[in-house]
Amino acid sequence: MTRFRTIDLLVTVAIGAAFGVAFLGYGALYSLIGPLTAAFKPAEGLLAGIWFLPAILAALIVRKPGAALLAELIAAALEMLLGGQWAWGTMISGLLQGGGVELGFALLAYRRFTLPVAMLAGVFAAALEWVYERFAYYPEMSWPFALVMLAFFLASGAVLGGVLGRAATRALAATGALDALPAGRDRALTGTERRPAAVS
Amino acid sequence: MTEGTTSDVAVPSVEARSGQARELRLQGLTWRPQGRDEPTLDGLDLTIPAGQRVLLAGPSGAGKSTVLRALAGLLDPEAGDLDGDQPIPERPGERGLLLQNPVHAIVAATVGRDTAFGPENAALPADEIRERVTAALDAARVDVDASRDPLRTSGGQQQRIALAGALALHPGALLLDEPTSMLDLDTADRVREAILAAAAGRTLVLAEHRIEPWLEHLDRIILLGPDATILADGPPATVLAAHPALREAEPGSGPVPEAELRRVPGALTVITGSSGAGKTTLLRALADEPRDARPGYVPQNPEHSFVVTTVRGELMVPLREDRDVDTPTWRERTARAEELLAAADLSHLAEANPHRLSGGEQRRLAILGALAPRPELLLLDEPTVGLDRERREAVLALLDAARAEGCTVLAATHDPHLIARADHRHELVDEPGRASHDRADAPAPQAAAGPDRMPDRTIGPVPRTGRPVAADRLNPLTLCLIGLLTAAGSFAVQSWQVGLLSLIPLVLLAPLAVRTLRGGLLRLAPILFSALTLAWTTALLGTAPPLSGEAWLLGLKEACRITVFVAPGVLALGSVDVTALGDSLGARLRLPARPVAASVSALVRTGHLGQRWGEITRVRRLRGLGGTRSLRAVAGSTLALLVDALRGAEQQALAMDARGFARATRRTWTGVPPFRAADAVGLALGVALGLLPLVLTLAL
Repeated sequence: MTRFRTIDLLVTVAIGAAFGVAFLGYGALYSLIGPLTAAFKPAEGLLAGIWFLPAILAALIVRKPGAALLAELIAAALEMLLGGQWAWGTMISGLLQGGGVELGFALLAYRRFTLPVAMLAGVFAAALEWVYERFAYYPEMSWPFALVMLAFFLASGAVLGGVLGRAATRALAATGALDALPAGRDRALTGTERRPAAVS
Repeated sequence: MTEGTTSDVAVPSVEARSGQARELRLQGLTWRPQGRDEPTLDGLDLTIPAGQRVLLAGPSGAGKSTVLRALAGLLDPEAGDLDGDQPIPERPGERGLLLQNPVHAIVAATVGRDTAFGPENAALPADEIRERVTAALDAARVDVDASRDPLRTSGGQQQRIALAGALALHPGALLLDEPTSMLDLDTADRVREAILAAAAGRTLVLAEHRIEPWLEHLDRIILLGPDATILADGPPATVLAAHPALREAEPGSGPVPEAELRRVPGALTVITGSSGAGKTTLLRALADEPRDARPGYVPQNPEHSFVVTTVRGELMVPLREDRDVDTPTWRERTARAEELLAAADLSHLAEANPHRLSGGEQRRLAILGALAPRPELLLLDEPTVGLDRERREAVLALLDAARAEGCTVLAATHDPHLIARADHRHELVDEPGRASHDRADAPAPQAAAGPDRMPDRTIGPVPRTGRPVAADRLNPLTLCLIGLLTAAGSFAVQSWQVGLLSLIPLVLLAPLAVRTLRGGLLRLAPILFSALTLAWTTALLGTAPPLSGEAWLLGLKEACRITVFVAPGVLALGSVDVTALGDSLGARLRLPARPVAASVSALVRTGHLGQRWGEITRVRRLRGLGGTRSLRAVAGSTLALLVDALRGAEQQALAMDARGFARATRRTWTGVPPFRAADAVGLALGVALGLLPLVLTLAL
C-alpha cells in the first residue's frame, strides 16, 4: 500500500516539524564537541547522523516511499524559514539527506525496516551530504582531510542516524504512539506483550 | 504516492445534498484497533434517524469516541480490524466532527483560512468559499476577526472556530466528542449555545460527561457500558429514571475568591480566572522560583511529565541522589513508590509503559511522580480537566493525600468540583493589554459605548508583524528565486577580490528586507560566524600551506563566497509567509496538493510545538533531569516531543478527514498571491545578483 492516508502524511510532517523544533534546541550538542571542531572542522561530521533522524524515523514509522524525503524537507524548511545560517543550502541538504535515506530503503523495495537497512539508509544520506558539502562548503579543503571527513560522515550516518533512529522507533512503539501506523503492526518492533483494553 | 491522479472528487454533489439532516446507521459493527487484543466495538447496531438529538453517556473508556468516529465513517480499515457497516460519507464534510481538544482541529494560520479548509478540500470556487466562510463564522458565533491566528485564541473561541470549519461544508449531521469538557463553565455555556443554534435542522450526536445543561435539548440518551455495549437507550426521562446516577449534583461554591495567593502547608489553594487571565503563566513562574527544594509540578498534559519507561520508574525519579541532605534512602523510596501506587490503584500496572495508560491513569501517575520525592509544594495545571466523575474523584483523593502529608497544594483550574474542595481560592483578574490571548470569551461589557463591532470576516493574507519592508511586496516564489539565483551565482566567486566586490550590493540591498537593525543582525550573525569558521578551516586544512598568507587569502575568498551563497536567501526568506508559499506551490507550481497542505498545517503550528518543547524541558528540569544540558536529557525530551507530535497527528488526521482531506488531491487555494510589477523588479535584481560574480570574474 503506497497511498498516503491522511494520518501517514500528518505523522510524516509532524516528525519533520518536531525535529525542526528540537534541532533549534540542540545548540548543546555542538558546544560539546566545540573545541574539537574549532581545531579540526571535519570532526563535525561525527554529528552528521543526527540530522538524518527525521528521514530515518519517518521511513521506519510510515514505511512508504516518499515519507523520508518529505519529513527531512519539512525539518529543513523549518530551519530555513526560521533563519538558519545556510538558507537554501539547508533545503539542498534536506533533499539529499532525505533522498539518500529513500535510496537505502528503496534498495530493499520498502519491504524491510530492520536495523541494517536503517544503517544503510544513514550511510547513503551521509555519502550524498558529504558530496554536497565538499562541493558547496569545502571545495578548498585538501583531499586527505576531506576523506577523513567522509569517514566521520559515514560512521555517524550509520550510528547516529541508523542505530539511534531504530532505537527511537522502538521507544516510540513502546509508548503506543505508533499503534495506528504501519510500524505498529510490526511485532518485532512492538514486542508481543500487550495491555488489555485500557480500563482505569 | 498517487497524488494528482484521481479524478473522483465528489464536487458536484456538494450542493445537491448540503444542509439536509442525515440518518446515521451502524450495522453489526466490530472494531479492534491495532495494538489491542479485544475489540472496542463488538457487533454494534445503532440507528439515529435524521434530525434526532442524541447524547452518548457512559464512563471514559466505554468507547464513546469510537462510536462517534464510526458514525463519522472515519474508522480506518488500515489501522485495525473492521467488520460490519460503517456509513461512508457521500461528499466531503457531510458529517461534521468536533473533538475534545479544539487545538487539534486547527490547520491554518488565520481563522478565515482555517474555516475555508473544508471547502478548499471540496475544490469549491474561491468566491463560494468566501461566502461560506462568512456564513459559517457567523453561524458558529466566532467573534474574532478572520485574520486572527486561531492558535492564539482561547479554548472556547477555538471550539467555535472548529464548529465553523464543520459548518462551512454544510453538514447534515454534527458529531461532537465532549466539545465543552476543557472549558470553564461560562465559556462552555456560550459554546453550547452556538452548537445548539447551528444544530437546527441537523442530526446531532454528542458524547458528554456533564449532561445536565444539554438535557432540555435532547431527544434521546444512549448509555454505553464497557466495549460500547448499549446499557440503556431511550428518551432522556426514561433513561434518567432508570439510571439516576447519570445526573450529578452541582458542587458547592467553595472558598471565597481572594486577590491574595495563600500558600498554607496542608491546604489546597485553587488559582482561578477566565481563560487568558494567566493561570498557567503564574503556575510556571511559581515553579521557576528559586528555592531550596524542588517543587512537584504536574503539567496539564500528563504525558509531558513522563521520563522513564515504567510506571514504577516514574516514582523513582530523580534516579540519582542529589544534594538534599534528608534524601530518603533507596529502600524508603521503593516502599514509598509501592505505597503510592497502591493508593492510586496503579499497582497492577507497575511494569507498564506510562504512555500506554488510559487518560485517567496517566493523570494519577503524573501526580504520583511529583509526590514521590515528598515535595513541600505541589503545583498542578488543570489536574481534573476532561475527566469523568470517577476519575476526577480518584485525582481529588490524591490531592487530599498530599494535603494530609503537609504539602502545600496549588492548582490552576476552572473545575467547580475542584474549587469546591479547596481551602483557599486565588482569583486572577484579566490584565488589560495582554495581547497574546483572546479575551472575546469574557462576558461582553454590558451597555458598552457604541454599537457592537461585527468581526471582520474577510479572508486575506496572513498579517505580518513588525515594520513593513519592500521585500514584503514580492511573491513568495520570487523571493525564493532570488535566494536560489544568488546561491547558484556564488560559485563563480573564484578570487577574494570578486568575493569582496560581490558583497557590496548585498550590503546596499539589505535594508529592503531587514525590518529592524537588531533583527537583521540576529539573522546575519550566524552567517558571519559560519563564514569566519570556514575561513579558518580553509586556511588550516586547505590546499595551500597551513596558515600561510596564501592560505588566509583563500580563506577570505571562501568566507565571501559562502556569504554570497546564503545571505540573500536568508534575508529574502524573512518576508516569505508559509501560507502564501503553500498556496503558490499548490496552485502555481501544481505540487501534489495533500502533501503541500499537510506541510503548511504543520509549519503554522511550529510556535505551538515550540511551547510543547518548552513545557517538556521545564518538567524535566523540575524533576531533576537537567533541562537540555545533557545528551540523555536532550534525547529524552526529543522522544517526548515526538510522542506528543504523533498523538496530535492522529487527532489532526481525524479532524482533517472529517473536513474532506482524505481525497483532496485537487483542491482550491484561496490565497494565491499575485505576481505584480514589483516581482519583475525583484526578478531582475535576482538575475543581476546571480550574474554579478561571473561578470566581475570576466571583467577583472
